[in-house]
Amino acid sequence: MMASGYNAKEEDGHHSGAPGNGGAGAVKSKKPDNTAFKQQRLPAWQPILTAGTVLPAFFVIGLIFIPIGIGLFVTSNNIKEFEIDYTGIEASSPCYNCAQNYSWNSTSSCTCKVPFTLEQPFESNVFMYYGLSNFYQNHRRYVKSRDDSQLNGDLTSLKSPSKECDPYRTSDGLPIGLPIAPCGAIANSLFNDTLELYHLSNGTRTAVVLMKKGIAWWTDKHVKFRNPGGNDNLTLAFQGTSKPVNWRTPVFELDPNDPDNNGFINEDFIVWMRTAALPTFRKLYRIIQKKVDAPTLASGKYELEVSYNYPVRSFDGRKRVILSTISWMGGKNPFLGIAYITVGSVCFFLAVVLLIIHHKYDNRCSSADIPN
Amino acid sequence: MDNISGEFALVISGHSLAHALEADMEAELLMTACACKAVICCRVTPMQKALVVELIKKHKKAVTLAIGDGANDVSMIKSAHIGVGISGQEGIQAVLASDYSFAQFRFLQRLLLVHGRWSYLRMCRFLCYFFYKNFAFTMVHFWFGFFCGFSAQTVYDQYFITLYNILYTSLPVLAMGIFDQDVPDRRSLEYPKLYEPGQLNLLFNKREFFICISQGIYTSLVLFFVPYAVLSNASQDTAEPLADYQTFAVTTATALVIVVSVQIALDTGYWTIINHVFVWGSLGLFFSIMLAMHSQTLFSSSPNQFHFVGSAQSTLLQPVVWLTIALATVICIVPVLAFRFLKLDLKPQLSDTVRYTQLVRQKKRKAVCFSGGAGVRGAAGSTSEGRLGARGGSRRSGYAFAHQEGFGELITSGKNMRLSSLALASFASRHSSSWIDTLRKKKHSHTPTPPGAASGDSSPAPSCVSGSAAPPLSNSPSVLGGSQDAAIEEEEARTPPPSPLQAKPGSSTSHARPPSTTLLAASESTQGPSTGGGPGDTAPSAQGESGGWTLSLGAVQEALSNWRSLGVRSSSPGPPSL
Repeated sequence: MMASGYNAKEEDGHHSGAPGNGGAGAVKSKKPDNTAFKQQRLPAWQPILTAGTVLPAFFVIGLIFIPIGIGLFVTSNNIKEFEIDYTGIEASSPCYNCAQNYSWNSTSSCTCKVPFTLEQPFESNVFMYYGLSNFYQNHRRYVKSRDDSQLNGDLTSLKSPSKECDPYRTSDGLPIGLPIAPCGAIANSLFNDTLELYHLSNGTRTAVVLMKKGIAWWTDKHVKFRNPGGNDNLTLAFQGTSKPVNWRTPVFELDPNDPDNNGFINEDFIVWMRTAALPTFRKLYRIIQKKVDAPTLASGKYELEVSYNYPVRSFDGRKRVILSTISWMGGKNPFLGIAYITVGSVCFFLAVVLLIIHHKYDNRCSSADIPN
Repeated sequence: MDNISGEFALVISGHSLAHALEADMEAELLMTACACKAVICCRVTPMQKALVVELIKKHKKAVTLAIGDGANDVSMIKSAHIGVGISGQEGIQAVLASDYSFAQFRFLQRLLLVHGRWSYLRMCRFLCYFFYKNFAFTMVHFWFGFFCGFSAQTVYDQYFITLYNILYTSLPVLAMGIFDQDVPDRRSLEYPKLYEPGQLNLLFNKREFFICISQGIYTSLVLFFVPYAVLSNASQDTAEPLADYQTFAVTTATALVIVVSVQIALDTGYWTIINHVFVWGSLGLFFSIMLAMHSQTLFSSSPNQFHFVGSAQSTLLQPVVWLTIALATVICIVPVLAFRFLKLDLKPQLSDTVRYTQLVRQKKRKAVCFSGGAGVRGAAGSTSEGRLGARGGSRRSGYAFAHQEGFGELITSGKNMRLSSLALASFASRHSSSWIDTLRKKKHSHTPTPPGAASGDSSPAPSCVSGSAAPPLSNSPSVLGGSQDAAIEEEEARTPPPSPLQAKPGSSTSHARPPSTTLLAASESTQGPSTGGGPGDTAPSAQGESGGWTLSLGAVQEALSNWRSLGVRSSSPGPPSL
């Protein structure tokens, strides 16, 4: 009990029993420690929003954003881009017949030729993309439907793919079907149109050289996707598995001429497996290397030859080809430049308005105004 | 009853309270009690204490606080909203039953004005920020639903979703909830009006909640649509498109963490070293964990779990991504900054003003110190602070439940009403306790009183000093032997000039005190003008007859009404009444 050595009239803080009478046993003081932490006296910085900090900050943001926006806009305007829609919806379109007559089990592929003209020459590396619209690669069931350990070359997963791949896990037709390699809906819907470019000049039709390697992410190609049992003898490695349902050829025949682009590490396959975030997307297809003394793509007439294998009519999708050059900020992106200019000017304008308001209505009281 | 001006106090003893708390009377009691400035219930039982508290709780929309130190206070402490126990002389029973406990009654002021206020402020800021950050985080999925076929695909990596609330954003807000202060503790004590927002529920009500939520929704809109607009057609500088799911996820997650960190930086008003560590540390933790999760090492251990391999490294090296994040941050934060600045500028609250002046003073003091030879001025500055602080920290006793006999007797005896202490002394002498007698004798030996006016110098309650040599007003014979009119005359001659009151600010105290002490002060100061009249008076016999009691009571009442008006007129600036 605290009563030992306690004075009835004691008023000033030394209420602990110990200090007064040292020998009265060790009555511990209940007083909290007088440290800065426990007494909430830690040294602190107390920022306050004054006109002297906020208004210059707004001005600075405005002054930084507007030049950046202008730079981005100018850079973006210098990038050349050309888009060709070859879905074949209208009857006048070259690929109309192919689109109409598509059937799943046709062995020969339908080809159509789409002519287009480039007004301006394209300098430096030109990149060829294929674009799809209304294709929901970001649907949750679709995104789940893959087996990354199988794609990484794991032999166990090769023969027994993960359950997430259902219903594209085992092949039909057999009660216990062969495992599908690669399994899943993403792999099954691989884009298989073949696109070729021909330059028409002086009556001759020259094929534009398209590079099919260097289109995937480095980590994807070298870390994430590995062939089971190495890159050689893929036929043997994939024995006992079946091809995906909607593929024409099995995975080890994606590029038989190049062992570095065959099997799971085929770059078109890797690019497709990197699912897009939005329903309208584009994926890198081919690279046109820059030429030394001539523009990569001279202006003039061109022809796009499509081997029409990929059906999109059933879900109102669209297919297109995009030819684009690249800068430090990537492809053509006018939104970024415009957004920066807008935000910068809004900030600047806001700063001016706040300055005016602050000057007109400044009634920051001195301490005399505080009711005491 | 609500428009009663003037200050009343109700003193009610346990016996009367027993009647007053009956069902048919309690409404009356409540009304009367709430019209008074202070209510003193003496000689009450513990049960009655609890009943009084519950009466208030039931019928009034108020938060009740009960403070006590003895076992007889436990029921009251338990029934109030906030129970405070004093640990000390009476044991620790009250402490064990209470929500808060400390050692001395005077700490109650600090509990309420400093810690209670800070606690309310911290809680409200914490709640507002918590709702904001979670809405900003979650509503992004709502907007994404429109673009993913409403398939409930998440925008972020699953590990980010798990760790967002645990690791990336919890520590800064925790630090704010523990350490935040808007004004220092001395200022809180100095300006009790700062306590008002807590009483009026101003900092977190439906309106504030709605504002928090809307801010969260706006942030989520920006955080989804800016990356959507920028990345949908963008590509890396190696031409791979940036619109893949993993890049989008990393961009949005990074933008989110940066935006909410900037927001907590804006919300925190008191940056201790711990706040710095937590805020910058959380950001750093986010980047390091993300880079670790997207590394090749973890991928090789479990490819299906860590399939984001390479995303962070690839995404965060793109200038376009950082430009997107910067754009999203500015769009989210600039309106908030503008609103807050305008609010501070056009409609500052008292706490903002106090904070601002505090910082201005600090800067001045620093500047003064830096200018050399200002050690003295600096000290003077701090002493003025000290004086201000001291004025604000005046001791007030507001005991509601008396359990010791000594004072109760005194109050009911009317002993400390010096005006007619001569007359009342006769009345009081019937109940004189030895203590009072001793005091009387002491006074008698000190002051040179005119003959026979022995009891007239009875010193009132010990805290006041009656240092003047002049015999008190009470020596006027008119009170006792004279007619009623003469008595009134005498008093009025003495009461009018309010200047003595103002001339002696030291002696006059706040008028929130119980009227007895106000009378005390007034009587002291009116001794000035009465000095001349005093000694000349013939002092009547101190041993008053009981017949004089009725007359003196009337005189007391007159004095009361006069002095009250005096007090109102002279309105000295004391601390506002609680």
